[in-house]
Amino acid sequence: MTRRGFRLLPHTADLRVEVCAADFPSLCAASVEALFSLLTDRRKIRRSGRRTLDSGSGHPEERLLSILRQALLLFSLDRFLVRDAGAIMESGRILVTVRGEHVDDARHSAYREIKAVTAHALTVEEGPSGFTARFVLDV
Amino acid sequence: MRFEDISLSQVSETAWEIPRTGGMLVPGLVFASRGMMEDIVRDQALRQVMNVAHLPGILYRSIGMPDIHWGYGFPIGGVAAMDVAEGVISPGGVGYDINCGVRLLRSNLEMATLRPRLPELVAALHREVPSGVGSTGTVRLTPPEMNKVLAGGSRWAVSRGNATEEDVEFTESGGRLPGADPDAVSDVAKKRGLDQLGTLGAGNHFLEIDEVEEVFFPEAAAAYGLFQGQAVFFVHSGSRGLGYQVCDDYLDVMAAYMRKHALNVPDRQLACAHIGSDEGRRYLSGLAAAANYAFANRQLLAHQVRETVQRVLRLGPRDAGIRTVYDVGHNNAKFESHEVDGRRRDVLVHRKGATRAFPPGHPELPAAYRDVGQPVFIPGDMGRGSFVLAGAPGAMRLSFGSTCHGAGRRMSRTSARQSVPGKSVFAEMERRGVLVACTSRKTLAEEIPEAYKDVGTVVDVVDQAGIARKVARLRPLAVVKG
Repeated sequence: MTRRGFRLLPHTADLRVEVCAADFPSLCAASVEALFSLLTDRRKIRRSGRRTLDSGSGHPEERLLSILRQALLLFSLDRFLVRDAGAIMESGRILVTVRGEHVDDARHSAYREIKAVTAHALTVEEGPSGFTARFVLDV
Repeated sequence: MRFEDISLSQVSETAWEIPRTGGMLVPGLVFASRGMMEDIVRDQALRQVMNVAHLPGILYRSIGMPDIHWGYGFPIGGVAAMDVAEGVISPGGVGYDINCGVRLLRSNLEMATLRPRLPELVAALHREVPSGVGSTGTVRLTPPEMNKVLAGGSRWAVSRGNATEEDVEFTESGGRLPGADPDAVSDVAKKRGLDQLGTLGAGNHFLEIDEVEEVFFPEAAAAYGLFQGQAVFFVHSGSRGLGYQVCDDYLDVMAAYMRKHALNVPDRQLACAHIGSDEGRRYLSGLAAAANYAFANRQLLAHQVRETVQRVLRLGPRDAGIRTVYDVGHNNAKFESHEVDGRRRDVLVHRKGATRAFPPGHPELPAAYRDVGQPVFIPGDMGRGSFVLAGAPGAMRLSFGSTCHGAGRRMSRTSARQSVPGKSVFAEMERRGVLVACTSRKTLAEEIPEAYKDVGTVVDVVDQAGIARKVARLRPLAVVKG
């Protein structure tokens, strides 16, 4: 089974992220966790709140993009930080449940501003050992 | 010269052409020295110049500036002009940070007298000018007031006493783009912008105190009110979360339009709609509204700088003399009139990481600058300084009245961070004589001088190409970053 995790790939100006997971729902959840790992120290986030993100239908790339955009809005709009995420597939849609809390300026500090999750060079690939996603965050 | 399957022919000391191949409707044109081209070919920027050349209605050339680097869809440092009747508008050709730009404030202060007060001044500016991720401004807009900002831009700030008539006169397009429609901006975008007006943001946005170190073009420097040894203030920011959301919202609208009309482009981030379509016109209305938010944002930041400096130095407005030299964006799409193939045409010019650079005599310039050309500001990195340029006649012939916008990154953020820990950046900058105040050490490490091209070589290219002329070099002495 593929180890769930992410790494940064070379990119001149922005953040190009590669995420791996065993299956597509896990890939979406791991991508959300990667996004928040690039925003802040996730270890300092308490699991006191819960939100659900719905990918809707479409190609895997479209569903992942939708989930990531919604996840970024959790922070940009509601100042909600994600500690961890899990996902299931239901009728072709991915439902990602995230646990976390609202920003507490005393405990949380942001590493950087992420302006957007872009569709540029966004890929989802299935290989022998699982799924891999690559996407670019505009910072 | 070839790079992978891209063929490049050097057409002058500072310009390279990418011939039309495949579905390209026009050739590519990139301004760069031979040495810089070796850096440029290392990422996907040239491929993106070629991709942009596929867009319907593109005229003359798909253009890259010497600070070009890999963006999403369009390269950063890209210019593309579209025929108004047949062409398209693409949010990816503007960027997420709509009307991100730079304002330069001059002063009556000489750096020699200001220098002893710099630590106190920088601390005050860092405290009083909101910066960093999630920062909120001193203005909390109500929804009706938000609509006034989106429609009025800097004019809204005049009505609140946060701007002078002179500020507005010396802002591109008078600080207000026509055609803005607040209803073309989604509720989510408006909500993101409610408490961010008057905030600097993070990343490469900054507030800087510089010294005018060298003057190259005395007539223009005099017109802009600049002199050697003078203290000046740089503000670099944009439309904040509101602008990012407008871009995201309309990328979806454009994607649906392309499916409906079977438009094919090489990269989905080049999603676009015909300028005259409902979708295209709606985006242009939202774009103008977001651009107005950015004008108002930089105006409030400039006002805060002015107030803070006067308070810390105990000077009145007349003695401090902090006045706007100019405010100009570098992420926008604007209707302009240009000569193309010997014929004057109305075009829509996309500038993404590129600055409008109108030459002497252009009717859109303030009267005070009409003899010398439009001021253009090219922020470099924190260590090597910045430049003031003036628009030059070549820009109208070669680049739709455009020039570069910065030094351009050459190192990834990861490489930059790995090359130096955040703590030692402070020490290194201090060694170079630059005071730094910042909210995030990670951001600071990503913004080390070595992460950028040498801004001096970038402006030498545009100066030599005749699309802008060097006016003055500025030396940074203090930087406030988010």
